[in-house]
Amino acid sequence: MKLLKYIIICLLVTGAQTVNAADDSLITPAVRDYLGYGAIILIMVTIIVAMLMINRAFKLVAKVFLPAEYAAMEVARKKAKIKKPKAQVIQKLLSLKPLSEEKSILIEHDFDGIHELDNPTPAWFMGLFYASIIFGIVYLLSYHVFGFGQLQDEEYKTEMLVAAKEKEAYLAKAANRVDETTVKLSTEPAALAEGKNVFKQSCAPCHGDKAQGMVGPNLTDDYWLHGGKISDVFKTIKYGVTAKGMPTWEKQLSPKQIADVANYIKSIRGTNPSGAKEAQGTKEDDEPAVAANTAMVVQN
Amino acid sequence: MQPEKFYYDNKIVRNFGIATIVWGIIGMTVGLLVAIQLFSPAANLGNQYTTFGRIRPLHTNAVIFAFVGNAIFMGVYYSLQRLLKARMFSDVLSKIHFWGWQLIILSAVLTLPLGFTTSHEYAELEWPIDIAITLIWVVFGVNMFGTIFKRRERHLYVAIWFYIATFVTIAVLHIVNSFELPISGLKSYYLFAGVQDALVQWWYGHNAVAFFLTTPYLGMMYYFLPKMANRPVYSYKLSILHFWALIFIYIWAGPHHLLYTTLPGWAQSLGVAFSIMLIAPSWGGMINGLLTLRGAWDKVRDDVVLKFMVVGLTAYGMATFEGPLLSLKQVNAVGHFTDWIVAHVHVGALGWNGFLTFAILYWLIPRIYKTNLFSKKMAAFHFWIGTLGILFYAIPMYGAGFTQGLMLKEFTPEGMLKYPNFLETTMRIIPMHVMRSIGGSFYLLGVIVMAYNLARTMLQGSLVSNEAAEAMPLEPVYVKQNGDIWHKVIERKPIRLMVLSLIVILIGTFIELMPTMTISSNIPTIASVKPYTPLELQGRDLYIREGCSNCHSQTVRPFRSETERYGDYSKAGEFVYDHPFLWGSKRTGPDLHREGGKYGNAWHYNHMMDPRLMSPGSIMPNYDWLLNQDLDTTTTAAKITAMRRLGVPYAPGYALKANQDLNKQAQEIADNLAKDHIKVKPNKEIVAIIAYLQRLGTDIKVNKTANNQ
Repeated sequence: MKLLKYIIICLLVTGAQTVNAADDSLITPAVRDYLGYGAIILIMVTIIVAMLMINRAFKLVAKVFLPAEYAAMEVARKKAKIKKPKAQVIQKLLSLKPLSEEKSILIEHDFDGIHELDNPTPAWFMGLFYASIIFGIVYLLSYHVFGFGQLQDEEYKTEMLVAAKEKEAYLAKAANRVDETTVKLSTEPAALAEGKNVFKQSCAPCHGDKAQGMVGPNLTDDYWLHGGKISDVFKTIKYGVTAKGMPTWEKQLSPKQIADVANYIKSIRGTNPSGAKEAQGTKEDDEPAVAANTAMVVQN
Repeated sequence: MQPEKFYYDNKIVRNFGIATIVWGIIGMTVGLLVAIQLFSPAANLGNQYTTFGRIRPLHTNAVIFAFVGNAIFMGVYYSLQRLLKARMFSDVLSKIHFWGWQLIILSAVLTLPLGFTTSHEYAELEWPIDIAITLIWVVFGVNMFGTIFKRRERHLYVAIWFYIATFVTIAVLHIVNSFELPISGLKSYYLFAGVQDALVQWWYGHNAVAFFLTTPYLGMMYYFLPKMANRPVYSYKLSILHFWALIFIYIWAGPHHLLYTTLPGWAQSLGVAFSIMLIAPSWGGMINGLLTLRGAWDKVRDDVVLKFMVVGLTAYGMATFEGPLLSLKQVNAVGHFTDWIVAHVHVGALGWNGFLTFAILYWLIPRIYKTNLFSKKMAAFHFWIGTLGILFYAIPMYGAGFTQGLMLKEFTPEGMLKYPNFLETTMRIIPMHVMRSIGGSFYLLGVIVMAYNLARTMLQGSLVSNEAAEAMPLEPVYVKQNGDIWHKVIERKPIRLMVLSLIVILIGTFIELMPTMTISSNIPTIASVKPYTPLELQGRDLYIREGCSNCHSQTVRPFRSETERYGDYSKAGEFVYDHPFLWGSKRTGPDLHREGGKYGNAWHYNHMMDPRLMSPGSIMPNYDWLLNQDLDTTTTAAKITAMRRLGVPYAPGYALKANQDLNKQAQEIADNLAKDHIKVKPNKEIVAIIAYLQRLGTDIKVNKTANNQ
């Protein structure tokens, strides 16, 4: 026991030391926690081992000093073991009586020849039932009395907060931060190809596959309803003109994608596709292509 | 005392049996048709009367109330007489019950494709039919209790407890969920609106599953299974416990259909907690059934009837475990609105209801025809093709549900939705929908083989219309027996049993419904939410007529994945003028609650004419008839008057002026469409539905403040 005492004291001391050591920030709080848990588990295990050893020791002592009583005890223990074979434990848990004993629990009365047995409700079934009731009570208490769980409105706020943080962290690293004030005209083939893809998927249903205009206006002529400069086109796509049926794309396309598709639209000006819709809006001269070979679409 | 001679009425059992088979085939064929439309919209046969939104309710009504309904009456009329040692109370009532029920089904077959619907799921039939259902249900009740009163058996067997609970609860559910204000012969508005209407509907919807698809079948299982296996019922005590626990707990679980909606949080949590508590009472029935087969498993190998029973009970066990699982909010967040739910209900419907019905038919028809089954081989074929059908149906649908549920929630690192276009997720699961329809046709094939097999069985035997039986009459006074437990008292007092079951099911009903109906803080109102204009109201009724809510929900849940996709999440105050609510229960297409103003009128016009013009690959059917049909404005005044009576604040006398406003708004939309070179007369239905769609969810964009807190 003395040994045990020493071990406990040693552990407590080292535990306290790690707490102090935190100031040196050599051991992070997480590591400190693990050390604490480890110490607790170690103590528990030691105690259990000690208990088992003491039990064993008592038995040995009994065997040496009280042989008669010990023998009687052993016999009783063995008897109990024989009485309860393992199969019966399972039977009891399932509350199943052997079929051979069925007659003894048959309820005499029958309904149109149907008999019923007087079996108890199975133990595991009752266990399941009680457990589910406890779950139900704990569930209600934790959401509506103790407030451990978040109800849907708070849950939503948390979800949005986490998402906003993650997004910010990502965008801080990524070169994706273009908006209507920073977007630049570009003729970079990769960007135009990407823009064409987006156009095919998202814009063609309303503006036509060659941007000749259907429900939406013709995008290949010189006439613009909401401005024909790259920044205007970007803005129109991003925020939409919902009153006139142009949807908001801010939530569906990334800023880079909007920039690409705006550049693609600028690039197909004057292609004069067949079936072009008549001009709408005001005529605008083409924007001077600034630095046509600049690869920088994105500027921070 | 002398034993009395009497005769069982087998003819009524046979009639219900034939009706079960015929409606079963019809209902499942319609099911197959709607399943095919989900990957090939052209399978709507090019007309409005056979388009998904209208015949999906026909499928559900046909299989629930026609196929399962007739099967219940077949099983009840057969077992009740024998368990009570008495002929049915009145042959006339039996006949009225049979023909009345068939007429109700027939009226559903006529009205639903014509677009007469209340939009409440599994309660779509309009008010005159609701009254007919009530009357026929009373006839059934009188006939059942009449038989119980003249019984020659003192105590009621467990099967009859279930029949009684079924009778009272369905009566309560049906009546409360049919509180409608008629505005014409086949059109009505529900008394409740928005959240309250949703709660009543799903209290009903959930318990229709409980008390129409579950309790009567448990009753039938308790009679037919011991008979088929020739084994005693495993545990009488378990019967008592699970009967009372089941009917008490089931009634509370309805709100789990409305998780993350604007239903008050406390009601949602009650729904979750009671759903979990429902596992054990539901399983009680399965355990009592499967353990009844102890010592008879060797028979299961040879007897196709028992095979059907075992698979049926197992399907019941799986579905009643999965249900509570789906009620957990975290699981529900992914599973709700997807094909997961469709898979879940079909495991129950095809496995539990279908297979039990088939087992009972195979067992009972040869008996009342005093012959043997025509072909055991065909029955075995039916069993295997049916089981295969269930697997082919359920597994792809689970796959589809998980796939779509997860895709819709996926974000890119930039914080954008990975699949912003809903259609992308739909296209991904189309192969699974094809497989599901193959599973469905396997199952249907099995039923057709069964119909042939049973028809041949009937032809080779002859019906014993009146089966002779003998029993001792009841002693006038009951002498208590040794070993009678307390429950025996209830078992010999049928009225007391009925009243007790009624009380038990009313507890949960009152606690959940009453506060939501009466305490205003449960539904915070929003000042900027205004009643629909007359044109929008007419458009809304077209939305109901076409069954749009079968595929489109109108409730945005408070998840990032939904607010990013659809817009601000729904608030309870937005639905206060919605008689009825149109939240839907399945998103085959995207949610529409924030549809207003998202696209232009021309987009909607073209999209309705042919959805594939605007959304290539869409599986939405063409609604071209809306472009040609004239809007019926003669109903406007009656509709406004009805809405006023329901508490919608239209100005007094507005009903008479409403059509002026309607025409003005219609003209504006037509003019707006003309700018995009779409020539449409303002009196066409398409104009009204565009007006409604453009209104959806726009009220709180104006002003977000809530009062009445």
